[in-house]
Amino acid sequence: MGKQLVVDPKKCVSCRTCELVCSFQHNEEFNPRLSNVSVFYYEKECITVPLMCMQCDEASCAAICPTGALSRNAEGVVEHNADKCIVCKMCVSACPLGNVSYSPAKRKIFKCDMCGGETMCAQYCPTGAISVVDPTDVPSKKQLAADKMMAAVEEVSA
Amino acid sequence: MAQAKGWMGTILRVNLTEGTITKEPLNMQDANDYVGARGLGTKYYCNEVDPKVEPLAPENKLIFMTGPLTGTAATSAGRYEVVSKAPLTGIIGAANSGGHFGPELKYAGYDGIIFEGKAEKPVYLLILDDQVELLDAGDLWGQGVHEVTEALEAKHGSVRVSTIGTPGERGVLFAGVMNDKNRAAGRGGMGAVMGSKNLKAVVVRGTGGVKVARPKEFMDEITKARTMLCEHPVTGEGLGALGTEILVNIVNEVGGLPLRNGRDGAYWDEADSTSGERLVDTYLVKNQGCFGCTIACGRVTKIEGRGDLDGLGEGPEYEAGWSYGAACGVTDLGAIVKANFICNEQGMDPITLGATIACAMELSEMGAIPEEDIGFPLRFGDAEAMVKLTQMTADGEGFGQILGLGSYRMAEKYGHPELSMSAKKQEMPAYDGRAIQGIGLEYATSNRGGCHVRGYMISPEVLGIPLKMDPLETEGKGALLKTFQDLTALCDSTGICLFTTFGIGLPEIAGMYREAVGSDESDEEILLKGERIWNLEKRFNIQAGVEKDTLPPRLLREALPSGPAKGKVSQLQTMLADYYAERGWTADGDPTPEKLEELNLSY
Amino acid sequence: MLVKFFATYRQISGCNQCDISGPSSVLELLEEVSRRWPAFRPLVLNEAGTEKGEDAIILVNGRHIEHLDGIRTALSEADYVALTPLVAGG
Repeated sequence: MGKQLVVDPKKCVSCRTCELVCSFQHNEEFNPRLSNVSVFYYEKECITVPLMCMQCDEASCAAICPTGALSRNAEGVVEHNADKCIVCKMCVSACPLGNVSYSPAKRKIFKCDMCGGETMCAQYCPTGAISVVDPTDVPSKKQLAADKMMAAVEEVSA
Repeated sequence: MAQAKGWMGTILRVNLTEGTITKEPLNMQDANDYVGARGLGTKYYCNEVDPKVEPLAPENKLIFMTGPLTGTAATSAGRYEVVSKAPLTGIIGAANSGGHFGPELKYAGYDGIIFEGKAEKPVYLLILDDQVELLDAGDLWGQGVHEVTEALEAKHGSVRVSTIGTPGERGVLFAGVMNDKNRAAGRGGMGAVMGSKNLKAVVVRGTGGVKVARPKEFMDEITKARTMLCEHPVTGEGLGALGTEILVNIVNEVGGLPLRNGRDGAYWDEADSTSGERLVDTYLVKNQGCFGCTIACGRVTKIEGRGDLDGLGEGPEYEAGWSYGAACGVTDLGAIVKANFICNEQGMDPITLGATIACAMELSEMGAIPEEDIGFPLRFGDAEAMVKLTQMTADGEGFGQILGLGSYRMAEKYGHPELSMSAKKQEMPAYDGRAIQGIGLEYATSNRGGCHVRGYMISPEVLGIPLKMDPLETEGKGALLKTFQDLTALCDSTGICLFTTFGIGLPEIAGMYREAVGSDESDEEILLKGERIWNLEKRFNIQAGVEKDTLPPRLLREALPSGPAKGKVSQLQTMLADYYAERGWTADGDPTPEKLEELNLSY
Repeated sequence: MLVKFFATYRQISGCNQCDISGPSSVLELLEEVSRRWPAFRPLVLNEAGTEKGEDAIILVNGRHIEHLDGIRTALSEADYVALTPLVAGG
């Protein structure tokens, strides 16, 4: 099982560097609309959410694809094979998170492929709002919660 | 047409009088010689406009220009420049802004837009990739920046908006052009030029991309530069966590924070009440980045539980924190944040407006402005009056109309032009040229009048970046300022943010530029373009009839009364002589024919 | 003498300013500050403890110590000192 991308909206500063490096990695041009990751800013709530394919275990996009263009590789990444793709766009409709996209300009389907392991968005994110974790490690959030509980218990018993 | 790398290759020309829109190929010779954004915009402007033009007349033009790095993953590369003759100063105006608008313009396929003439009725320009049209802005006229932005987003979906508020419509001389709501091409009155053309807004959606000449090498360069920024204590940590307002305490500590219009020196025992540390503890919600920025110095701020002051917005930056704080002698940080909100919501330069209110406070205290002109008593330290006057200026109400002229014209009207803390009629920002000698030289020589971001001498004189110079001494200031001004002209013109220069320098900027456009020029050849841009601006100013390089008499004659720089005045003449010699100009500050020849700038 | 802390140094000192008497030079003051708050040690002094930390700005009576006698600048009880990490703005 491969690595997993996780996002932390609290750390995101809305700079969209992820959109830039992602689009460049896959298209050799800086074009946020061809990026597999998109950044959403909620002004009143002062929160920004970067979003990309979560590589669902039950991947609707792959399930609905009539030609087998979407399939899971050994790293657990749902890959898109343009050679098999007939651009029917069923996958775009099927993804419940909107993370499979169609470019009218390029007439192609695109989604996150974890950059073949190089995960540009996480590498270039200046704040760590996007990071790569190994799902077999103890989740860092859980560790943090445990740390907090430990500190609280220590205080009470002191 | 073949797309030049880094560039989109197309300029939009919009004639507002005729209502025509044409697309023309980018002038590649000028693009190479003047880099982009500030430099290239100014070159186009100088090619096409009579230097004697009246800034608010239809014959004037208004140019939006991006740089070759704008919209790429280069360091903080979200900038565009708004260029015109500035109504506040009567010389070249070039105001730079971040946010997300500039990149979107490139994604739509354009390096820049040239606006000519004047529309018969209010209009806005809508750009949806290839589709470009002028639309009626009758229902937007009279509305503020935030309202207009929201209305246009609601109407056109996922777009970026650059607009003016009502001060720009009425010709307030320091009205700014605002994009992405709170990002400002702020100084000199570019918003008033836009308003004079009946142009309310520019709305862009772009779905294309920006290519670079040497992709792999480009990524290597930007990775190196980004890493340097992330590892630098200022750009990697300080600016993001603490914002620019963090400078208040240290600048005050060196005795360089101008107090009460500079009347009471530059050392304030209450400075901490307006500090960046205090802002973090009180009104800061989070920090925010512009497009592609690793620094993220923006402040998202919120005021709650203060009644009329309540609001959500951005800022203040250090300069506005000073103009509404120390300059007005106001310690209420909530009032400072609020006044800055009003400036953003209506598109006004808070440096000029805060400093103009400070000047009015001094004139009022000395009895030079009759109370009936203002409508209420006005004294230093009155936070409520300060916020009220800011709103009155935004609304064009009563004395706000006088404030809308800026401090020089206001002080002149009341018989005391010498009390305007301005250079070439533009208000000097938040550092005292008596305590920090080199920044005084920058104010006097800046090509757009009183300004700190043409050659930020605070870096060497106060912060020690890249080397530590004594703020009280004059030696070496002329030479370093020249280098800073040329490097800044280059940096602005590439499309990256000046703040990156706290952490990177010429080798990195030149490196990113080279790989984007496919140049094989040396660092020195690329820096020379910065010097060319500076001399082009200077030449325009001379043709426009610029005033000589000087500072207000207060800085030249009134010794500082307290603080570590006590007893000091600006040694401007000494520094000017050095500076002109370094520039290869005459002793009167005119570029020589030989210098212009050397820069390929001969008439 | 009065010692002021700016920016992130306030999180270490837990105060905006305090009174420290005794040190007769900047070096002695930095050593004292590092004793009271060990987190200051790697910031305000170099590794050998012979010079100020690279990213620390130290002002005595509003003057950078670079323009005085550096870390050997003499201090008296009437002086005031400001300690700040490198910050910037504009």
